[in-house]
Amino acid sequence: MGAEGTDPLGLREQIAENQRTIDRLNRELAKKSDEVRIIQQISSAITSTLDLDHVLEIVLGAMDRVLGFQHSMILLKDPAAERLRLFASRGYDAPGLGAEVGFGEGVIGVVAERKRMMRVGNLGMSRSYLRSVRARMEATGQMGAVESASLPGLPDAQSQLALPLLVKDRLVGVLVVESPRPNAFDELDELLLGIVGNQAATAIDNARSYQLVEKLSRLKRFFSPQLAEAIVTGGADDPLKTHRREVTVVFLDLRGFTAFAETSEPEEVMGVLREYHAEMGSLILSHEGTLERFTGDGMMIFFNDPTPVPDPAERAVRMAVAMRERVATLLGKWRKRGYDLALGVGIAEGYATIGAIGTVTNLAARLCGEARGGQILVSARVAAEVEDLVETEEVGPLALKGLTKPILAFDILRLKSRV
Amino acid sequence: MALLPEEIKPAMQGVIPSDVVTCARDGTPNTTAISQVYYVDADHVALSHQFFNKTVRNVRENPRAAVWLISPKTFDSWDLEVEFERSETSGPVFETMDMQVEAIASMVGMKGIFKLRAADIYRVISVTKNVDERIPLGEIAGGR
Repeated sequence: MGAEGTDPLGLREQIAENQRTIDRLNRELAKKSDEVRIIQQISSAITSTLDLDHVLEIVLGAMDRVLGFQHSMILLKDPAAERLRLFASRGYDAPGLGAEVGFGEGVIGVVAERKRMMRVGNLGMSRSYLRSVRARMEATGQMGAVESASLPGLPDAQSQLALPLLVKDRLVGVLVVESPRPNAFDELDELLLGIVGNQAATAIDNARSYQLVEKLSRLKRFFSPQLAEAIVTGGADDPLKTHRREVTVVFLDLRGFTAFAETSEPEEVMGVLREYHAEMGSLILSHEGTLERFTGDGMMIFFNDPTPVPDPAERAVRMAVAMRERVATLLGKWRKRGYDLALGVGIAEGYATIGAIGTVTNLAARLCGEARGGQILVSARVAAEVEDLVETEEVGPLALKGLTKPILAFDILRLKSRV
Repeated sequence: MALLPEEIKPAMQGVIPSDVVTCARDGTPNTTAISQVYYVDADHVALSHQFFNKTVRNVRENPRAAVWLISPKTFDSWDLEVEFERSETSGPVFETMDMQVEAIASMVGMKGIFKLRAADIYRVISVTKNVDERIPLGEIAGGR
C-alpha cells in the first residue's frame, strides 16, 4: 500500500491535478471578485439615472469593458404581448434595433418564456445535428418543411448566455451575451451576469415606468392626478387594455349656481356645496363610480374605469335618479332660504381610449349643458341599455357643440316600478 | 464522493460529441455518439432521452455504461464508468436540458416536434483521465 513510485490508482496525479484546479479557481476568483467590485460601481451608476437609453448603454458598456463580453443585446418585453423587442445592442455590424423575438423562439425566447437563465456553448453543433434529424424526418414524410425563425444576433453564434431580467417575478426583458466561439461562457460568467442583471432589471423597469409616466403626462390634462396615476401604474403590463375599456360618463351641475354664488355670502355658498358634495359623494360611492373631477358645483363621474364594474350604464342611471331625488330634498331646504337651484345631468357611454378620450366625455358634458333643471339626459345608447329599467322621453334632435350631426337624447323620467 | 473534477466541465458542453457504450441484457454491446453529456453534480451526469433508442433500452435492462468525453479546450479525454439511476421528467436538471432542446428546436423549425422526453440520470462510479492519449493541440477556444 502506498509504496513510492508505484501509485497504481494515479492518486498522486489526482492530488496534483486537484491542486492545479484549486489554484486556477483561486486565480479566477480573485479576478472575478475585482469584477464584482467594479460591477457594484456600475450598479450605482445604473440606478442613478431614469433615462432608459442611458441605462441600456451603461449595462452593455459594462458587459464589454468589464466582463469582456463583446457581443451583447438587451431585449425588452412588449407590454401587451408575449414578445420581446431589441432595444440596445453592442458589438454588431448592424444594430438590428426593433427586431422581434416571440416567446419560445430560440435561446432568447425560451429564456423569456421560462424566466430562467440559459447557457449554451454548442449552438452550431446542435443546430447541425437537429437539421440533419429534420432532413431525415422531411425525407421520410414525418414532417413538412418548416420555416426557421429569423433571430437577431450573430448569425454564426456558438455560445449564448441569456438572462431573464426580472423584477420580483415579472419579466422586464432578456439580457444576452454571445460569441462565435464554442464554450465561451462558464458558471462564473453566469454569476457575474446575474449580479448585473438584477440591478439592470430594476433600473430598466424604473426608467420604463418613468418613460410611460412622461408619455401619459398629457393624460393629466384630462384627468385628475389620481386617475392618471392609476392608469399608469395599473396599466404597466397592458396600458391599452386599461384605456380601451368601455366607460359610462356622468356630468352633473347645479342650475342657477353661478348666479347664486355671485349674489351670496361665501359662507352660504360653502354651506350649500358641503351639503351637496356630501350627499352626492355617498351616492357615487354606493354605486361604485369614480369621481373624476369636480369644479364647484360640477362633477364628472366615471363608471367601469379605472375600477371595472358590471352594468356601468345601469349604475350611472340609478345613481343619477337617486341624486335627483336627494337634491330635490335639499332644494326644499335651499328654497326656503331663498336659493333657486336645480340639478341637471348628462350621461353618455363609449370607449375611452387615450387618443379619443374626448368623445364620450364631451357628449356627456354637452347633454348636461342641454338638461333643464331636474332633467337627466342620456345618449341613445345609454337609453337602449336601460330601457327595461326606466321610463324615458325622447328629446331633440339636439345640435351639440363638437358633434357633426344633431343627435337624439332621452330624458329619464322615473324608474319603472319593480314587477 | 466528488469524482468529477472541475476541469471536466468544458467536456460536458456538447461541443465535441461523446461516446456512450451500453450492453443489452444478453451482453451484446452497443456504442453510440451522443451530442451532449450534461453535468448534474460532482457525482452525477445526465443524458437526454429524446427517442427510444438502444441506449435507453439497454440501461433499463443493464444499468452499467461507459462514457468517453473530450475537452474542446485542451483535448484531454476521460473515461467514465456510470450506472443508470433514474429518469426525471421535471425538476431543475430536466428543465435546463428541456429549455436547451426547445431553444434549438425552435431555431430549426422543429418546435414541439423535437423535444425532451426525459433526463436520464447516471451515477458516476469512476473517472479516469487518459493522460497519455492527449492530443497536443493546445487551447483552441481561449477567448470569447
